[in-house]
Order: sequence, then structure tokens, then C-alpha cells
Amino acid sequence: MPNTSVKNGAKLALVVDDSAMQCKVLSVLLKEEGYRVFTANDGARGVSMYIKYKPDLVLMDINMPIMNGYEATRKIKSLSLNNLCPLIFITSMDTDKAFIESIDAGGDGILVRPFSPEVFKAKIKSIQRISDLYGQVKKLQQEQQQDAELAEQLMSGVIEARNFALEKIGIVKKPAALFSGDIQLTALSPNGNINVLLGDFTGHGLRSSIGAIPLAETFRVMTKKGFSLIEIITQINHQLYDLLPTDLFLAASFVTISSHDSSAYIFNAGLPEAYIFDDKGEIKHKVLSCHPPMGVLPKLIEDVNLKVITVEENDRIVLISDGIVEAHNEQGEMFDFERFEQAAKLGIQTENVSKTVLSAVNEFCQNMEQEDDISLIDIPCGGWHQTFAVHQLDGSPSENKNTNQIVDNTASWTWSLHLTGQHLAKVNPIPVAMNQIHEIEGNAEHWQSLFTILTELFINSLDHGVLGLSSDLKSSAEGFAEYFSERERRLKRLSSGFIDLQLRYFTHETGGRIEVRIQDSGKGFEHKEIMNAGSNNENHQQLSGRGIELVKQLCERLTYQERGTLVEASYTWS
Amino acid sequence: MTINKSSSENKKEIKLSISERFDFSLHQQFRDAYVHCNEEGTEFKLDLSKTTYMDSSALGMILLLKDHADKISGKVIISNPVESVNKILEIAQFHRLMKIEG
Repeated sequence: MPNTSVKNGAKLALVVDDSAMQCKVLSVLLKEEGYRVFTANDGARGVSMYIKYKPDLVLMDINMPIMNGYEATRKIKSLSLNNLCPLIFITSMDTDKAFIESIDAGGDGILVRPFSPEVFKAKIKSIQRISDLYGQVKKLQQEQQQDAELAEQLMSGVIEARNFALEKIGIVKKPAALFSGDIQLTALSPNGNINVLLGDFTGHGLRSSIGAIPLAETFRVMTKKGFSLIEIITQINHQLYDLLPTDLFLAASFVTISSHDSSAYIFNAGLPEAYIFDDKGEIKHKVLSCHPPMGVLPKLIEDVNLKVITVEENDRIVLISDGIVEAHNEQGEMFDFERFEQAAKLGIQTENVSKTVLSAVNEFCQNMEQEDDISLIDIPCGGWHQTFAVHQLDGSPSENKNTNQIVDNTASWTWSLHLTGQHLAKVNPIPVAMNQIHEIEGNAEHWQSLFTILTELFINSLDHGVLGLSSDLKSSAEGFAEYFSERERRLKRLSSGFIDLQLRYFTHETGGRIEVRIQDSGKGFEHKEIMNAGSNNENHQQLSGRGIELVKQLCERLTYQERGTLVEASYTWS
Repeated sequence: MTINKSSSENKKEIKLSISERFDFSLHQQFRDAYVHCNEEGTEFKLDLSKTTYMDSSALGMILLLKDHADKISGKVIISNPVESVNKILEIAQFHRLMKIEG
């Protein structure tokens, strides 16, 4: 293309006029203004010169042979949709009609002869100023587009690519703008629970994405450290309240799937109902929003609790954003909940929830423009045992066999925490303990097992010891939910009682050992029954006592004393 | 006008009536309607009886209004939302933040 080489430096002007004399006069004036000038003597030639040279300015006569100025202008303007090339008509026809027609044809101005050189130059300057402004806007727009693309890459490549178990959890994400205000996160907690978040930031585009990175970071780090779901939610709410302006917030549903106690914990803050379906696609539960979106209030509302639901292996939890139910068709109808429920049912039966729902929405909306981000997460409630086992391999109990090489009987360090009354309800000491271990001994895979041991033993002491809850309640699925609400009630009223947690760390020649000692102020519990029950395989489906069974498998030694108020466990690794 | 504003004689009550669509396009207009009402204890009544569509940025705009009302010890009351809009307010649990009547 010749234009690129010609274009370096001076601006180009194209003069289209059948009078050679006029061409000459205009050329001289333009050259005085610093333009390089090409000329054409009829409209058709003008169009082909335009294509060839892509000038910065066109001056057009009206009456010309072969193709007149109006027609040539229409052609040129249709060729330069994305590029403002200012075009001025130069004519001696001083009529309203000529003026109107030249603007209609796409001209940016008209200059009627006779005019002085000064008037001509002023006109050129003013038109060039507009053209420069247009160029600046265009450039800004391109930069904005690049920023948005970068943000999207970051979101999908960095934030969401780090999600856990993407092969098992179905995710639909269809943004309205390039950058979606919706966010989907999944992460694995050290005790094998799966945490999932579906969030919808106010609005869409770049503005709605500023909270995404801190949100993802908090969700991941806290899950990894083993904080409970309600602690994670509390922190996220607080963080977004601090970080975001008043009118920006995050509607979100949070789910923990705990396969070892066959439960799902759900918290819905500002999203449409979260669904739990059985394996035939029938609705078992809907969890309605019970809290304003994250970041609206400085603290979570006190009387709001997580919903605890007993789930079976083949149940599925489906979270949706409002973009699905509010999707419109040409008649202005909404897709709504009923159509979603039907599509989800069909999806469960055909084993592809996300795809089935998405194509139902698409079919419903036909060619309507999508107004809001559409997203969905489909989470299986079962099949997580294997996943966890794989992730836990490094800390598996088989390593505990080389225990006869103990060389040192004095502890390298000890750490203890004594919690009383309401602090037991408010503080989860396990992440605190794990932090200590990380601080002193650094990161290691086998801390995952230790985390499980500490969590299970602490919860046992709190529930059955301090709170005096009977695990009989947990023997049925209904009882399980009841157990949790009773637990919440007793925790709130807790004013006395204590739990004493002590860790002693021993260094071995290879590896090491941690001895855990937890004592509580309770009356004790039927620890013998549970300790023995675990060894019987038939009891594996039982809902209670599984925690202790898990700890027994992980520990080298586990003993309950003093009616079950004192437990000692020893965990060894090499 | 897509936002209609009327105020009581003592200027203690401001009524803002919103048109059919309450979304980001009303942002500036909505803000202009209340930002100069600084009378201590003003009650802002947000009439949503004509509004049939509301998005999450509208919720954000209501929160900004509430911020403003809180600063002058006033309050915000949402009145007469139609069913579809009420559902959105319910999902966002706005009744925990302000009075919704009608």
C-alpha cells in the first residue's frame, strides 16, 4: 500500500474538482497549511483516490461529470465508517438546498465561493480540530478496550483458573459486557470440605471487578487455613465494606460441602434461591436470601445463621445469578424460576445441568441482547472422598509406622491456649494453632492431617463436653439439622466452661511428632462406645462418631481419659 | 422527567417517584434529586409504584440515598413496590436496612 509510505509526516488532502484551475488554487492554499495534496477531476476518480491514499481531509465540488459530489461523498463516507475523514463541500451554489443536500450526503461542512484565503484556512483549521478530537476519543476507547481485555485475562487466567475440582463442578459464565461482574470460586479446605462461592458484583464491566481480586484472595487463603464458612463470610463482608464505595456490593451464595458428615452449609446473601436437587431432579430444598449483599453492612446481622442441610451422595446443589431468571425474550417475558427449575431437572436427568440450563435460556431469549451476566454453579454433593484422599496422600497414616526411632523425649516447643465462656463461641482456635505451627515449622503437606485431627477433637470437646450435646441426635438425617440449631442456641447462651488446648512438638531424626492434649469442663461423654464403634465397618454410614474414626486412622495413638473430658493424641510423620 | 420530585411545605418530606425502569441511566438524575436536600431529619419517600424493572445498580443508588439521609439524621422509606421489584428488594433483604411500605 502506497499510503503508508506517503503518510509519514505531512497530512494528506484530496481535492476533487472538475476544474483544473480550482484544483490548483485549493492546492496552493492547502500546501501553505502544510498539507500534501492529491487531486481528482471527477467523483469516480475521487473515490478511487480516496481508497488509495486514505487522506486526512477531502474537499469536494458538487457538479462534476461521471459521478457528482453527493454520490462520491456517500461512497467515501460508507468506506470510512471507523475513521473520521472530514469532508468539506466547495461550491458556488449558494442555496439552502445545496447546503442541506451536502450535509445529508455526509459532508462535514460547506464553503461557498467566493471566499478569502483567510476564511478558507480558518474553515480547514476548525474542521481539523474536530477530526483531532475524534481521533483522541477513538484512541481512549481502544485503550479502554485493552484494559478490559487485560482485566478479563486476569480474571479467567489467574483468579478462576486456580479454582478447585473444575472437572467435577459445572460452571456457566456468560458476561453481558466483556468483563463480567460475576465471580465463581471453589477451594478445598484442609479437612476435605469443599467451599464454593457464586458472587455478583453490582453492575458489570471494569468498575464491578475491583473487588474480585481481594475477594478471591480472602476466600482462598481462609479456606486453606481451615477457617469455617461463617468466619470466611464475616471477613469477606467486612473487607468489602471497607474497600468498596457505598453503591458497589457483592450479592453472593456460599456453600460448604462436607462429605464426612454428609451435610451442606449454605448462606445466601442477595442471590436468587440456591437449589438442592435429588438425583431425579426434584427440588429437595431452596435456600432463600437471608442477608443483605456483602459489603452493605459493616457487620453481619446477628440473628442470621448458616443453613445446615443433610445431603445424600447423589444430590446436587445449584447456584444461579439473577441474570438467568431475569433474562427476557422479545415479548418482554422473563425466563423466571419455573423455566429454570424445569431446565435444571432435565439437566440432572441428562447429566449436564450447566449446558442444559444455558441452552434453555438461549432458546428462550432468541436474538434478544443479553442485559445481565448469566452464571450458574452446579456442585455434586458426593464423590469427594476420593478427591480428598488423593490430596492427602502425603500425610497418610501409613507413614506413622517408623515410630521406633524417637531420639528426643523433650519437646522442642509447646503451645497452649485456654479459652473460656463466650470466647469459645467466638474464637476458632484451630486456625490460630495452625498459624503457630506454620510460623515455627514452615509449610508442610502433613499439616493437613494435623488440621483434621485438631478440628475433630476440638469440636468433640466443645459439642459433647462444654455444650453437653448428645450425639444421639445425629443418628438420623433430620436430627442432624436439629443438632446444629440446638448447637447454635447453646453457643449463644454460653457463659461458663473452658477448653484447654495444648500442643507439644518433638523433633525426630527423620520427621517429628506432635502431641495434642485437649481438656474441657464438660461432664464427659460415651467415648468408649464411639471409640469401639469406629472399628466396625458396618457403622461407616453412621452420621455420628465418624470424626473420631477419622482421627484414629490419622493418629499413632488416641486416648480418652477422665470420662472423656481429656483427650490425648499423638501424630507422627517422617 | 423520569424522576419526579415533590416536597412538603416544611421541606421535611421529599417524595421521589421513579419511572418504569430504575437502572444506571438514572444515576445522575437520581443523585441530583436529593443531594441538595440537607434539611435535618428529612424523610425521603421513594415511590416505586410505577417501576417495573430495577437492577442492582438501582439498589446501589438507593444505598447512596440512605447514606445521604443518615448523614442528616433523616430516613428513607420505599413505598409501593410492585411484585417484581419487591422480589428484588426481598432477595437483597433491603427490609433489614430501611422501611418498605405498601
